[in-house]
Amino acid sequence: MSKPFSTVPPARISRRALLAGAGLVAAGFVGTRTVRQWMKQRASVFVAKHQTYGGPLVQTIRDGLIASGIDAANLKGKKVLLKPNMVEPSREAPHMTTHPAIILAASEVFRGWRASVTVGEAPGHVRDTDMALEESGVREALDSAKLPFADLNYQEVAWVENRGHASKLAGFWFPRAVAEADMVVSLPKMKTHHWVGVTAAMKNLYGVIPGIKYGWPKNVLHHNGIPETVFDINASLPRTIAIVDGIDCMEGDGPIMGTKKTMGLVVIGTNPAAVDATVCRLMDLDPAQVPYLQLAGGRLGPIDDRLISQQGEKWQPLASPFQILDKPHLQRLRKNKGVLVT
Amino acid sequence: MWLDQVIGTIEKNPVIGYASHSAPATEPTAIAALVLLAHGKQESAKRASDFLINTQSSDGSVGVRQNEPDPQWPTSLAVLAWHAFDKLAYATNIEQGVNWMLQAKGKAMEQTDDMGHNTQLVGWSWAEGTHSWIEPTAFHVLALKTVGRGDHPRTREAITLLLDRQLPTGGCNYGNTSVLGQMLRPHIQPTGIALLALAGEQDQGNRIAKSVAWLRKALSKETTRASLAWGLLGLAAHRITLPSATQWLESAAQQVQSHDNSPHKLALLALAAAGPRLLTPDS
Repeated sequence: MSKPFSTVPPARISRRALLAGAGLVAAGFVGTRTVRQWMKQRASVFVAKHQTYGGPLVQTIRDGLIASGIDAANLKGKKVLLKPNMVEPSREAPHMTTHPAIILAASEVFRGWRASVTVGEAPGHVRDTDMALEESGVREALDSAKLPFADLNYQEVAWVENRGHASKLAGFWFPRAVAEADMVVSLPKMKTHHWVGVTAAMKNLYGVIPGIKYGWPKNVLHHNGIPETVFDINASLPRTIAIVDGIDCMEGDGPIMGTKKTMGLVVIGTNPAAVDATVCRLMDLDPAQVPYLQLAGGRLGPIDDRLISQQGEKWQPLASPFQILDKPHLQRLRKNKGVLVT
Repeated sequence: MWLDQVIGTIEKNPVIGYASHSAPATEPTAIAALVLLAHGKQESAKRASDFLINTQSSDGSVGVRQNEPDPQWPTSLAVLAWHAFDKLAYATNIEQGVNWMLQAKGKAMEQTDDMGHNTQLVGWSWAEGTHSWIEPTAFHVLALKTVGRGDHPRTREAITLLLDRQLPTGGCNYGNTSVLGQMLRPHIQPTGIALLALAGEQDQGNRIAKSVAWLRKALSKETTRASLAWGLLGLAAHRITLPSATQWLESAAQQVQSHDNSPHKLALLALAAAGPRLLTPDS
């Protein structure tokens, strides 16, 4: 049943448990093995190496999701929203945005499981969403696969209570495609971020927030604290999993102006916090020093490596230092040997 | 041909949303009102203007959709539409809207080396309590100039802000120039909208000329629909018409019709075809 699309915040609804994946468990999207893991505050993260955009990404993503605990049978007939990263696309910097091949492969997997797939994004910096779609190459991919696209910047909105309470915001306006989705799949690019260090699955979900209500950039969120609102949005979107485009990545002055770094990885998991912690380790950055992961750790999911069950490849031999800006607020990320760049 | 078709469609239903079959919204309906007026369709333009009145709050602001009073950035567009339609009949609504605009302020921020622009200048924001950005500031400047408040100190400060946000090599990003020492990329839509607001302004730093030059070079048949419309309007406000503009607009309209059939994008293209006179009366 559709949620009411009201302009008036409704009465507070019952607060859901913040236990990682509670929404997924309730919805029956994950198997019992994963349930047991979550009960112990554990999560599985799948890492695939030697990946290319022309390679067998469908198989990689399908294998990764199953290894992460997805119960494919329960996705039949469900609405799945794929959320790539198209913050400020430019043909000059394809390593800034989620590659269309990842979107197509993920859609094929979910369609194969008989889910109803929509791609949605609210580009954070550009009001002309067509421009974002075409500069990123995503438009062509959507057309080729006859995938519907939801422009999350301008859709009608529904009010959802802020279940994180890290920021002062009482709730969020979620676009229709987000509010009605049974599952939101974060499809981020693996990138450094010049304010919060790293952007991957959790930060990418800033892009479900509609510009028509929050602005371009989504300044309402910034003024309420980037880490706090990243945490809050994720806490308020319980049905969320992640497939990270870690093939051609961005280092240095990410998330827009950084340089390309090829890793050849795809990282998958049903717990975005655990996925992001693993992404940090692959970038040779300390997840415990990323402010929104500090908030998420133990509440939205595990970020401690001992609590993350590694599927596929081990991250340790794949880790490669990402350059980060030589700025005081980013220094603490370099727990090990992360490289600074000016 | 395409233009007649688009105007005919908007004439039948002048209260439009961003997407086909989506809820009516203020910005697209204000654009529709301007298009209809530009093409002499007074009766339908009145329906659009009246919708905007029904969206106006008691404090004079106009929200993004009916029954969505926040945020209020489309107030400027509603004022533009009312003024263009009948400034006497809508005098009260215009006055209330202008009063709201003059008290609404983007949030100044502490000036640091991190940001390349002057963060102390005040224009208008997308949402209450946040920083001033290019497009809402430009829309408010256009509205205030149109109602004869171009000399108001808020308008003048906003002009200074818009000039300050031009990139050194021309064009505008959504609002930053450089962040943490890195210059950002220009985009067509905010550049076009900023240039509309900067029409007729003096600029000792030659920034307007650089942005006009950048925009002229950036526009092409590949430019996406909304950017194309605002880009052409921005150039036209500086008395520049590109020889292929008509062809590009027709092609863009056909693309919209074959893709998402967005009434907002079609209205923007029709407005670009009509030129900027209802947005910048003095240009």
